[in-house]
This record gives sequence, structure tokens and C-alpha cells, in this order.
Amino acid sequence: MSDKNLEVRFGELRLKNPVVTASGTFGYGLTYSKFYDVSTLGGFVTKGLSLKPKAGNKPPRICETAAGMLNAIGLQNIGLDKFISQKIPALKGVDTAIIVNFFGNTVEEYAEISARLSEIPQVSALEMNISCPNVKEGGIAFGSDVRATSKVVSACRKTSKKPLIVKLSPNVTDITEFARACEAEGADGLSVINTLVGMAIDINKRRPVLSNITGGLSGPAIKPVALRMVWQCYKTVKIPIFGIGGISSPEDVIEFMMAGATAVQIGSMNFVDPHIGKRIADTLPSVLDRIGESHISGIIGAAHS
Amino acid sequence: MSENHSALAMDCVVIANEPLGDGHFHLVAEPVVKPVAVAPGQFVMIRVANMLDPFLRRPMSVADFAPDGSRIGFVIKEVGKGTRILSILSPGAKIDVVGPFGTGFAIPDGAKKVWMVAGGTGVAPFLGLTENIKRADLDYTLLMGARSASQLFYAARFRDNGVNVITATEDGSDGVKGFVTSALSAELEKGMKPDVIFTCGPSPMMRAVAEIAEDAGIVCHASLESYMACGFGACLGCVVKKRGAEQYVTVCRTGPVFNALEIEI
Ligand SMILES: Cc1cc2nc3c(=O)[nH]c(=O)nc-3n(C[C@H](O)[C@H](O)[C@H](O)COP(=O)(O)OP(=O)(O)OC[C@H]3O[C@@H](n4cnc5c(N)ncnc54)[C@H](O)[C@@H]3O)c2cc1C
Ligand SMILES: Cc1cc2nc3c(=O)[nH]c(=O)nc-3n(C[C@H](O)[C@H](O)[C@H](O)COP(=O)(O)O)c2cc1C
Ligand code: FES
Repeated sequence: MSDKNLEVRFGELRLKNPVVTASGTFGYGLTYSKFYDVSTLGGFVTKGLSLKPKAGNKPPRICETAAGMLNAIGLQNIGLDKFISQKIPALKGVDTAIIVNFFGNTVEEYAEISARLSEIPQVSALEMNISCPNVKEGGIAFGSDVRATSKVVSACRKTSKKPLIVKLSPNVTDITEFARACEAEGADGLSVINTLVGMAIDINKRRPVLSNITGGLSGPAIKPVALRMVWQCYKTVKIPIFGIGGISSPEDVIEFMMAGATAVQIGSMNFVDPHIGKRIADTLPSVLDRIGESHISGIIGAAHS
Repeated sequence: MSENHSALAMDCVVIANEPLGDGHFHLVAEPVVKPVAVAPGQFVMIRVANMLDPFLRRPMSVADFAPDGSRIGFVIKEVGKGTRILSILSPGAKIDVVGPFGTGFAIPDGAKKVWMVAGGTGVAPFLGLTENIKRADLDYTLLMGARSASQLFYAARFRDNGVNVITATEDGSDGVKGFVTSALSAELEKGMKPDVIFTCGPSPMMRAVAEIAEDAGIVCHASLESYMACGFGACLGCVVKKRGAEQYVTVCRTGPVFNALEIEI
């Protein structure tokens, strides 16, 4: 099967294949070039950026769980200025979609970052994080209230000249209300889902393991929940969806796409198998063959009919 | 981007796995692909089983090794499910290893007298150091501490390699009775002074070693441990706080070996 058959159109964004790596698990893009050529991916999403650098939470920040992990990194990042002056020039020559994830403390900050990121030619699209469970400001405050979501998406829509993707929180009663609000405010796509709030306790110390007490659960353990939410969002909105949550194989990619995702993002599995992005992109054609499909876009939403 | 993309994958086959006693074991593996050069004090990330549970790789210091990476050994203590799986691997078993990662122990320019302070499996990197960095002008002393004599792994091997070994046991069954830090203080009180102190072991021990070194005005390099998800700087999960700054640095990439003055152990 030719590579052309793996191409998908995520709104205006053309991806050479649907395999993208998720924010917070892929650094600023080049961390993984010691393992493989990242241009083999459909794209990658950079670590969440804020206007000013952020130190992040006190350790311990991570903890293993059954088929997954909890993290409370606290959005540690180098800040927008350093990203523009140091990371963007290093990405020269990378032939894949570069999606920049960002967050703010206020609606105004979100709008300002989105404006400034729009000026960078190498940036293919913006992903707004309104769903980080580990910080008070910037994340969940916007992602768990439909009116706050509408307001912040509308503000970024006005300042963004790039495709604008909103990353939704699963920690809500009805994710479709948020999906609908994003579409109504002009979002170009959705990323579904961010991590689920969880915790772990150290029975010897009689204390929570994470210094932040709670953390975001990710990995294969959350896949069924993520898949269900992609399914619901696909039924609700017309804009394209990135399916995210526990993807560890090409079969998982196909499952998410059949549930309605146009493309997917791989998160925690990058840590376990740093070659996984390339491995999945390389093996996807043979799995498509096996299920008797010639073009990947033919399976988007296939499980709904 | 001229990096060698596959340089960090080291699928290995186990060639030996020997119990050392008290739940410790020595695992030796050979890469089945082209080996990657290793430096003393570096670590690798081992996927203990090709399953989703245990999920994350386990970080392990490289102990004894061939400098071109064609043989790597580990000194491991069984503490949970991952290390239990590793403990029962037989020769011939495949293990999925990525690395090596991190900064190793580097002997500062001009330093001749090198003291190493180790607790438990903390001796691991010092096997690799003393067996691979040999120079006529280097004078190695290892201060090793354990609960009891049966846990003073490799004392004889270090001695055979020409390392001056001083032991401390909590139960007094070998060497100085008490913690290894008491042995360190006792040596310094004798008027001995090394050019550098390297330390690896439990955090409370390393914290005490770093304090003693600082008071004595001796450079101290400590190999830190931390929970790690990736091992190569992508997750930001393994951080340690910089001294005197509201800033965190990764143990896996900036370390694991740090100048003790730069971080809060
Ligand atoms: C850079 C580095 C080098 C290391 N080198 C060695 C080595 O040479 N030999 C060796 O035996 N161990 C070493 N460790 C520690 C080793 O990684 C852990 O003991 C191991 O991951 C535990 O896995 P498990 O599945 O057996 O334990 P789990 O079932 O995951 O946990 C069991 C217990 O071990 C503790 N634990 C788990 N992970 C760690 C960790 N990363 N650090 C400290 N405690 C932990 C937990 O708190 C828990 O109480 C190193 C760690 C790091 C970060
Ligand atoms: C260590 C870690 C850090 C993360 N950081 C971010 C972040 O900065 N911004 C964001 O939108 N999502 C972040 N995420 C969420 C992931 O992008 C992804 O949505 C989630 O992990 C689910 O996918 P997975 O199960 O494949 O890991 C992070 C996840 C992990 C594990
Ligand atoms: S272990 Fe992931 S950044 Fe250090």
C-alpha cells in the first residue's frame, strides 16, 4: 500500500498519516530524534506552553498504576519566548505537522499566546489545553465550565490565524456539551481526551504518593473511557477529532478512527517504547490491508453506521 | 538531524543471573544488536516484560561493563514486581533495554585521590568506574556500608582490583560498626583528604555524605535516584530541585550524577 493511502485531512491540516504524538510526552519535538526521524510521524504536539516559564510541581510527580501512570508535572515549561528563540529554529527541516499546545492563567493570556504563536510560520496548528487536571489556573478552571470554555475559545478564535484545536477534559459529566460549545465558537478541531483525575496512596508512609495529592491518569488503562468519549463527540459535532488515550498499537489507532477520530495522538506509550510513533506509522498499512480497507480515511467513524 | 536514530535501542540477551544473597542479584546481558558505548555511572531503562503491566521501564545503573557496551552488568535489589521479574530471568532470556542515558561519574581534572561512598546497590556504578577508568596516578578508596557483612557485595572483587576498601555495618559484623558516614568522618579526622568524593546509595546517606564533604571543603558528586517514566528527558517526572532556586532539573538528563552543591538531595 502506498503512503498516500495513509494521508488524512484534519480540517485544513493535511497529515501524511494519522499518527501524531501527544503533548507532554514528546518534549518540544527533537527529544525523540535520537530514536527515529520524527518526520515519519503525521505530526507531533509540543509540551504545553505558557507566556512565562513555569517551574512545575514538587516531586514526586509520577507514579505507575496498572497498565498506566499518574502524573502531576504541573505544566513545567520553558515559556513562550524561549520556545520561539531556541526551539523553533531547531525544528527547521522537520517535515511533519508541528502542533503547539498552550495554556494561560486568564482569557487574555490565552488570547495573547494564540496571537503570538500564529506569527510563527513553522507552526501548523494550535492546541489549547483547557483540561490540565494538575494546576488550578490555566487548565481545568476553563475546561469544566461550559461558559468559561466558550469564552476562552471565542477569545482565541479571534486572535488565532492557525487551525485551532481544543483539548477537552474527561473530568466532566457530559463531554458533548463542551464539544458543542467549542464548535459553536469556531474551533477547527478537538483533542479527546486529556488525563483522568486519580490518586495513589503509599501505605507505608500513609500519605498520597504524589506531592500534588492527585494526578492525571493516562495509558492503556484509560483507553475504553477515551474511546467512548470520542464516540460521543463524533455523534455531536462535525469538526475533526484527535483520539487520545492509551494507544499502544496500530489496532488501537484503527479502533479510535472507527469511533470517529480523524487522527490520533500517542501519549504515555512514548515513554515505554520510545520508537512507538514510527513503529505504529510503519505497521498501519499492513493492519489496514488485513481489515480489507484501501484508504485510511475510509474507516473514520466506520463503527457508527 | 544527523543523529543515529537507532543508537539507543539495545535489545539484549541475558548471559548470567547470579543471586548475591539477601534479595540481591547480578544480572549480566549482551546486546544482540550493535552495542552502544557506556560510561561509568550511566543508567539504562529496562522493560521487564513485554506487557502493559508493569507499565513503565525500570531505571538501572550500569555496574560492570565492557567499555564498548558489548557486555553490561547490573547489581539489583528485589523490591517489587519489576525487580522480581528480573530476578528470575535465565540465561538466554531476551530483555528490552534502551540507553545508556545520563551523565556518568567523571573524575575532575587533576584529581588523583578518589573516594567512593556507597550504600546497598549503590556500589553498582563503582564497579564500572574502578574497572574501566584505570590510571597509574589514580588512587581509589571505597567506603561501603550495609546492614550486615552478608550485604557487602563485591568487597573482595574491589580489593582484587587494587581498591582500598573500608567497610561499615550497622550490626558491626564487618568493619566499623554503624553507618558508612561514620566511617567517612573517621577517615577525614585521621587527616586524610581526597580530591573528590563520589556517592551513590539511599538519599539520606547521600545527603549526609554531601554535608560532610561540604564542611570539609571537598568536591562531592552524588548519583541521585528518582521515579522515572521515560529516562531521557521527555516526561519531566524525575526532577530534583536546584539549590537556592525555584527551579527543577531532570535527574535522567541533567544527572543522575550531580555536583552535590547544585541540587537538594
Ligand atoms: C538512575 C537510577 C539508577 C538505579 N539503579 C539501580 C541499581 O543499580 N540497582 C537497583 O537495585 N536499583 C536501582 N534503581 C532503583 C530501581 O529502579 C527501583 O528499585 C525499581 O524501579 C523498582 O521496581 P519494582 O517494580 O521492583 O518496584 P515497584 O513495585 O515499582 O516498587 C516497589 C518499591 O520500590 C520503590 N521504588 C520504585 N521505583 C523506585 C525508584 N526509581 N527509586 C527508588 N525506589 C523505587 C517503591 O517506592 C516501592 O516501595 C535505580 C533507580 C534510578 C532512578
Ligand atoms: C507526563 C505527562 C505530561 C502531560 N502534559 C500535558 C500537557 O502539557 N498538555 C496537555 O494538553 N496534555 C498533557 N498530557 C496529556 C497527554 O497529552 C494525553 O492527553 C494523555 O496522557 C492521554 O494519552 P495517553 O493515555 O496515550 O498517555 C500529559 C500526559 C503525561 C503522561
Ligand atoms: S524520567 Fe522522564 S524526564 Fe526524566
